[in-house]
Parts: sequence; C-alpha cells; structure tokens
Amino acid sequence: MPQIQAELLKIRSTRTTVGLLLGMVGLVLLTVLLTGLVSSAATLTDKQNQVGLLGDGSLAGVFAALAGILLITSEYRFGTIRPTFLFTPRRGRVITAKVVAGLLAGLAFGILGEGLGFGIGYVILSGRGIPITLDGGDITLLLVGALVGVALWGAIGVGLGAILQNQIAAVITLLAWGFVAENLLFVFVPAVGRFGPVHAGNAMVGDTTRHLLAPAAGAATLIAWTAVLCGVGLALTARRDVN
Amino acid sequence: MDPVVVCESLTKRFGTVTAVDDLSFALEPGTITGFLGPNGAGKTTTLRVLLGLAAPTRGRALIFGRPYDQLDEPARRVGAVLEATDFHPGRSGRDHLRTLGRAVAFPDARVDEVLALVDLTDAANRRVKGYSLGMRQRLGLAAALLGDPELLVLDEPANGLDPEGVRWLRDFLRAFSAKGRSVLVSSHVLAEVAQTVDQVIIISHGRLVVESSLEQLTARVGGSVRVRSPDLPGLAAALQRNDVATMLTNDHALLALRTTSERVGDIAFAAGVRVHELIAESSSLEEVFLNLTAEPPS
Repeated sequence: MPQIQAELLKIRSTRTTVGLLLGMVGLVLLTVLLTGLVSSAATLTDKQNQVGLLGDGSLAGVFAALAGILLITSEYRFGTIRPTFLFTPRRGRVITAKVVAGLLAGLAFGILGEGLGFGIGYVILSGRGIPITLDGGDITLLLVGALVGVALWGAIGVGLGAILQNQIAAVITLLAWGFVAENLLFVFVPAVGRFGPVHAGNAMVGDTTRHLLAPAAGAATLIAWTAVLCGVGLALTARRDVN
Repeated sequence: MDPVVVCESLTKRFGTVTAVDDLSFALEPGTITGFLGPNGAGKTTTLRVLLGLAAPTRGRALIFGRPYDQLDEPARRVGAVLEATDFHPGRSGRDHLRTLGRAVAFPDARVDEVLALVDLTDAANRRVKGYSLGMRQRLGLAAALLGDPELLVLDEPANGLDPEGVRWLRDFLRAFSAKGRSVLVSSHVLAEVAQTVDQVIIISHGRLVVESSLEQLTARVGGSVRVRSPDLPGLAAALQRNDVATMLTNDHALLALRTTSERVGDIAFAAGVRVHELIAESSSLEEVFLNLTAEPPS
C-alpha cells in the first residue's frame, strides 16, 4: 500500500524521530546501568528482578507511543493534514496506513531498545557473575512480549493522536495516564488497574508482580486497547471536518 | 461540455453560524474563475466542502460530476492549495513533495519536475523553516501540480506575495489555463485577480451575489443602469428587443448594460412597463465589487 510508504517516509524525513530514538537510547541505558550496577547481587538473582532488568527495553514503548502521536498530531499542528487528505480523501486509508506505520516504527524502537536493554543487562549479570535464573521460555516470552508490546504502543499513539488531534493534549494524556493515573489505579484498585495498557504490557513480558494478568491475557488486553483506540480514532477522523 | 465544478444549494453551518448559505454555481472548463468576496464571506468554507475536507450541511458540491472523495485519482485531476503554511517546518521541500507523491505512487522524478517548474530546485533540500513566504507559496503550488491536474483550486494565493510574486502567479495561471485547463482562485481583492480571470463568482455572507463573466462585470464600469420594476421579465424582454444587454442582480433589480438612463426610460415607456427606480451607475470595478459585497443581501 503506497500510503504506508508515505507514512514511513514522513517518520524518516524529520529530525524528530532521531530525537526520539536518542531519548529512548539514553533512558534505556540509564535505567539498565542504574538497575544493573546499583542493585545487590542477591536482588538480581531473583527471577522477577531479572525480568525487570532484562526487560528495561520496554521503556521504548513510551517513545514508540510518542512517535505514533507525532505521526498524526504534527499533521494537524502544521496543517499538512490538508494536503494529505487532498491526496488521499478516503481518510480511513490514511489512518490505517498510519496505524501500520506506527506498528512498524514501534517494532524498530522495540528492537533497538530491547536489544540494548537485554544485551547490556546480560553483560552486567555475567560480568558480576550473577547466574541467569530465567530459562529459555522465560527469555523468549520476555523478548517477544517486549517487542510486540512496544510495537503496539506505536499504534496506540496513532489512535490517541487521531482522537485528540492536539499534540500537547495527546502527549500529556499519554504521560499522565502511563506514569501517574494507571499506577494509582493499579495500587488502589488492582482488579481494574491490571487491565490498563501499561500493566497489560508488563504482564506480557512475564512480569509476575501480584495482581498482574497472565502473559496471554495481558497481550489480549493490550491488543484490545490498541484496536479500540485506533478504531475510535479512525471513526472520528472520518467524521470530523478538517479546518 | 460538463461543468468542472458544481455547487448545488450548498449550505454549511457551524453551530448557529451559517457560513455558506444555499450557494449554487457552476464552473465551465478551460476558464479561470475568480471566487471573490470579503474576508468571512464563506469562500474558504466553500472550497473546503468542495475538496472533501468538510461535510456540507445541505446541498452538494461536485468536481467532475462527483463528490471529491469519490474521484478515482483525485490528485491526478485536481490540485489544490488552501493554506500557504501547510508544511512541517523540519522537513525539506523535496521530502514534503515526496511524502505526498508516494501516497499516490508518483515517482520521485515527478517531484523534481514540479520543483523545477516553480523555481525551487536550488532550495529543494533545505528545510521549509528557512523558506520565504513566496517560496512556501510556490512549494504549495508544486504539491498541487504533482499529479498534472486538470483543475487548480487556490485559496487566496496572492496573500503576502510581493508584486513580483503576484506577477509570476498571474503568468503561471494564464499558461496553465492556456492548455484548456481550469482554475478556481479565491481572493478578497478583485483588483488582485481582475487581470487574470475570465469569470467571477462573487459571494457575500455565504450567498451568491454575482456569477458572470468579467466582461459583463466590467460593463458596469462602462455605464450601466439599475432599474427596478414590478414586471422585470417584461422589462428585460423589452430591453433585449432593443439590443440592450441585461443582468439580474441578487436584490431583484435589473442592470441594463452599456446604456443610458434616458434610453432605458424610453424603452420602458414604449413597452408600457412600469418603472420604480432608475439609477445610472458608473463606478470603478473595485467600487462595483465593494457595493455588491458590502450589504447583506435582503
């Protein structure tokens, strides 16, 4: 579909994406190094904590979501949405292409972020002589879960951006929900909070924190969030006038 | 030939505000049409509805006989520029065009062709944030030309252009339409487009005021007579029998063109048609425009 190529070119042709990638690399490095070098060997021998350390690359999800948000909201912000819709007046195609591009960009963020996080985490563990207590199945789940999760966040960003249109509102909503609201919800009402997208994503990588969903249920929940946000975003975009 | 653009009883409301009010007009192929009216008259809203960016409240707007979003390859048939500022500032002019072209599978070679066409080859790889307003206008035009369209729709393209830019645009539009293609160009200043257009559509408060050739509009400057009568059809017929061209105004008066009030009075008397008002008008084109658009039509 040529629209997908156009969307991928939009992502590649500004420096914003490079900025997001650098930010992601910086944050993943900082987190892995801090966790891996500061925590005690005993702590890091714990299976759950190894999932945490080796899965730090999931932080890429935040940046994938930001990339997804920018992919649509910067079109409204700078007015390029007008020529975009003039060239492709069937708006469903544009949004669908953006969702696919968001998934692909998310996948790229995930590969880079999780590759870094896992690689450096692994080197730190072996360097400090800490035995890997995760088995092959755990590691597969961790890597696949993180990659799929980060990719889905790219699409979630597109859906959220399509609904809100306003760039600042979308970014604030993402950060306020992901870093504050959903965590509070999980702490006070875990039966509900575990169905939030962030905690569903955590469940996907094999995080066994109490109250989290099973990995498969976590994956299904995050996919459902993606589908609902993108579906609503698509429906609203098709109906609303463009100024 | 079928009209290129048709608006049929087009109405667009935003809440309680009626931006476009029962507007009907048609555009003949191969002409440059000036779409005129003061700021806020509803020009941009009309163009947005026409181009499928906004949905009409009532009525419809067709391009090549179909709503815009139902054209098969709209970019190959219609090129449009609505705002001179629709660019990502951090993207190069060339990449802007490539993102648009790629969505409809145009080759990058076409991008370089239109860049040359609007004299932007040298600046093509610079980011748009460094472009002057004139360069941005030309980049917008380049985007509209990517598909080599049959119809160009431009919203206030002369806004902010220096005289040299206005002249460049005028020459460009003339060359474009010389190949039998059509242009719809909006402006709030008649003088800006008077040297370019063949047809004028003038709207005010969302309503059609005049749809005529520029020639007819100019005839008013050459001395026309405004006449009101309870029997307008009878009066018009009598005038036409005497080779006086007429034109209906939106406020139910008749304009007798290129004639004198004496002549119109005599013809009406001879035909036995009652006359309620007889005013000789002679004013500049811009005055005509201002008079037509100043008052809300009753």
